[in-house]
Amino acid sequence: MTSLAMQRRRATAGRVLAQFRSSKPGVIGFSVLLLFVVIALAAPLLADVRELNPVFARASGNPQWASPGEFGALGTDHLRRSVWVQFVWGSRVSLFVGLAATILTISIGSVVGIVSGFVGGRLDAFLMRITEWFLVIPFLPLAIVLASILGRNVWNIILVIGVTSWPSTARLLRAQVLTVKQRLFVDRSRSLGAGNGHLVARHILPNVSGLILANATLAVPISILTETTLSFLGLGDPSSPSWGKTLEEAFVNGAMVRNAWWYFLPAGLGILVVVLAFTLIGRTLEEIADPRLGQSR
Amino acid sequence: MNQLVLSVKDLAITYHSASGPVPAVRGVSFDLAVGDSLGLAGESGCGKSTLANALLRLLPDGTTTSGEVMIDGQDLFALSPGGLRAVRWTTGAIVFQGALHALNPVQTAGRQVREPMLIHHTVGSEDEARVRSRQLFERVGLPANQLDAYPHQLSGGQRQRVLIAMALACDPQLLIADEPTTALDLMVQAQVLALIAELRRESSLSLIFITHDLSVLTYVADHLAIMYAGKIVEEGPSLSVFQNATHPYTRALAAAFPTIGDPSSRLAPSGLAGDPPTPGALPSGCPFHPRCPLAEDRCQTAEPDLRPAGPGQRAACVLV
Amino acid sequence: MSSIVSLNDVHVHFGSSRAVDGVSVDVKPGEVLALVGESGSGKTTLIRAVQGLQTVTSGEIAYTASAEPVSEPDGGRGRGNRGVQMIFQDPTGALNPRQTIYEIVAEGLRIRKESQNEAERVGRALSRAGLRPPERFFPMYPHQISGGQRQRVVIAGAMVMEPDLLLADEPVASLDASIRGEILALMLELVEETGLSILVVTHDLGLAWNIADRVAVMYLGRIVELGPTEQILGEPRHPYTRALLSVVPETTRMEQQILIGEIPDSRRIPVGCRFHPRCPLLQSGTLAAEVASRCTTEDPGPVDMNADSAAACWAVT
Repeated sequence: MTSLAMQRRRATAGRVLAQFRSSKPGVIGFSVLLLFVVIALAAPLLADVRELNPVFARASGNPQWASPGEFGALGTDHLRRSVWVQFVWGSRVSLFVGLAATILTISIGSVVGIVSGFVGGRLDAFLMRITEWFLVIPFLPLAIVLASILGRNVWNIILVIGVTSWPSTARLLRAQVLTVKQRLFVDRSRSLGAGNGHLVARHILPNVSGLILANATLAVPISILTETTLSFLGLGDPSSPSWGKTLEEAFVNGAMVRNAWWYFLPAGLGILVVVLAFTLIGRTLEEIADPRLGQSR
Repeated sequence: MNQLVLSVKDLAITYHSASGPVPAVRGVSFDLAVGDSLGLAGESGCGKSTLANALLRLLPDGTTTSGEVMIDGQDLFALSPGGLRAVRWTTGAIVFQGALHALNPVQTAGRQVREPMLIHHTVGSEDEARVRSRQLFERVGLPANQLDAYPHQLSGGQRQRVLIAMALACDPQLLIADEPTTALDLMVQAQVLALIAELRRESSLSLIFITHDLSVLTYVADHLAIMYAGKIVEEGPSLSVFQNATHPYTRALAAAFPTIGDPSSRLAPSGLAGDPPTPGALPSGCPFHPRCPLAEDRCQTAEPDLRPAGPGQRAACVLV
Repeated sequence: MSSIVSLNDVHVHFGSSRAVDGVSVDVKPGEVLALVGESGSGKTTLIRAVQGLQTVTSGEIAYTASAEPVSEPDGGRGRGNRGVQMIFQDPTGALNPRQTIYEIVAEGLRIRKESQNEAERVGRALSRAGLRPPERFFPMYPHQISGGQRQRVVIAGAMVMEPDLLLADEPVASLDASIRGEILALMLELVEETGLSILVVTHDLGLAWNIADRVAVMYLGRIVELGPTEQILGEPRHPYTRALLSVVPETTRMEQQILIGEIPDSRRIPVGCRFHPRCPLLQSGTLAAEVASRCTTEDPGPVDMNADSAAACWAVT
């Protein structure tokens, strides 16, 4: 009955799409995100990557600390580099780190949460103690220590974020799995002879997948902000110009004192808007996944 | 005729959902004299609980109502918020099903019984409220030491008794019981029914008892009204409605719970084909016609009104 | 003598709570046995034990060959019996809202990896359960059908496995009154057509009158009276059965005997006869002194499962 399964999947997708479309915050979030994704993907067309190199910038004869009117759309920094170019290429790094770290976070969190909730007993107690351990450890010092031990590159940043931010996902999923596990249809399936693999794949996962997706969209902004924080603290990858890195360099080189707002404002606003967009999408998906949140009846 | 505690005329209640208006109650009229009891029976979606909630104006905002409800001589829909508060508890009180959810888990049973008295100033002091709550507990058959118990420490039957004590706290003239025994075991149900019958003997308490189980009503109600799709389809003295039902729906409902010992129902369960209609999408004509074993062509077009069907009995069916 | 399943002195204890405390009974081929009791009588725990969802503390549940429990395919905790299938009180909860009716009914076949003629077998089970034409229901979701139809889907999901024994836990308690009869009639029809046995657990004596061949009355973890339906519901001998029957609203009027209080906690089962603290017969003072003293000191023990009818009461045996 594959055609039936496909039909069903199409119907579900259609329903989710229709519900998503009818939500104004969801549509706004999605449009904004789409714009930034286009910018990130089209970076090579929009801005010359060589402009990120101070030597190239100097050779091109760019002015230093030029305001937006004086040079290009967004002016230049202390090293004569175009802020526009940094903004465009920074969106690429920030979005990539945000998404990659989220995949890691959600994978660890989902596996721990589902196993813990479904298996229960001693394994649950053990996994939850570990989760709590990660929850109570002050996040920033741990991230700083890990980042400095592992070294400053993009992959390590992703690893640091992934390893430190999964516990909340794990706890959320465990709670949801515990509720689903109590439902009578799980009993029914078990009485039909189903094993644990079947129960998880057929009954638990389909009933928590919406929550996983919604949780993932809400984890992206957190990852982006974490990357920004780490970069701002000087723990970012020196060779990847993320928005956080831009903010750090602007701060360190006195853009605030010089009132060179064009240096830090684009990256700051970029982070704000992307985070907001993901949050709007995440909330909308959460409402679709969990009807209790959205409907009044 | 006795003085009326409740008079309902042409009451219609419509909910508004995302998919359009949902007519839950579509024109219901009845009177209830002081000391009388009325049993309302019907299945899910027939509008019986909506009706019960409407009698104390407990409906959600945005619900449209029309018609008239006179409670103790006052026009319910014209009452001020203050007047309405006074009517709830002191004139009419409601006992819900699901006794676990209707009680606050972090307050003792005694405190929850005292609360309405203090709010409505039917007692002068906290001490007086304590004395009264002890009397109420005795009246509903609960030991006094359970005044200090929390809901989770009580059994289902005891919780239902606490709810009844609460409802009686302000000496109402009218008690509305919405499926009060549905979640209870047989023996506990019998205990609660006996309690309600005893309370009615002791005072001039009027009662509206709502249930899906017709046979329960013959114990506690003098009159029966059977609801289907938002309307009363048959009404009359309870025994004659139960034993000489004229509407085919009433007959089916009465037969749904077999008489034990009756050979005709032995190994012969009886039911109706199809499902009760959803209020948002009622069939044309008589709403019962798609399930009716006796339906004729004319039933598809015209919805019959209640018409005489025996002594004091009326039914909404073209065949009577 | 043959039986589909035979319970021999089954106990299920949870810590100090003796939920099922020595039950012996068997279900014969093609019979409907009603296990009647109030909440706290242990009837739900017992039916879960028969299904294999609940581990038995002691005693034995023996199935005939065709209903033999098979260890499950991927070694998990569940232990399903192919020949023993179950239907539930709340059909809405028993159906996964994210599965279609087809997937729900086919689930048992897929778990057992019996994929030949799947669509045909699912269709046959649905139409046997009264959902016709079955193809119309294949792509539907549980929320698109009515409560009565959902219970029929649950029944189809059990019948697709062609069981010898159907366990039913309050199969009509959450359904509307007018639908009740249809579902019960369907259960009787299945017995007639397929030779199935049904073990139905209920607090509803009317249901037993409607469909059961035999009735077993449970009180506090044990069967206190067992026999043919006409006898148990017509001339009950155990005082508990008599009291229970007297308060059924549907009874042709007999004098009500409302027992005081509720079933005691199964952690504190009274000594002697477990019913004696609430027994109207003992309280009436009409019993001979030596019988009355036995009631408070000596356990009458489980009923004899091989007798035609039996009551665990000192006053009647």
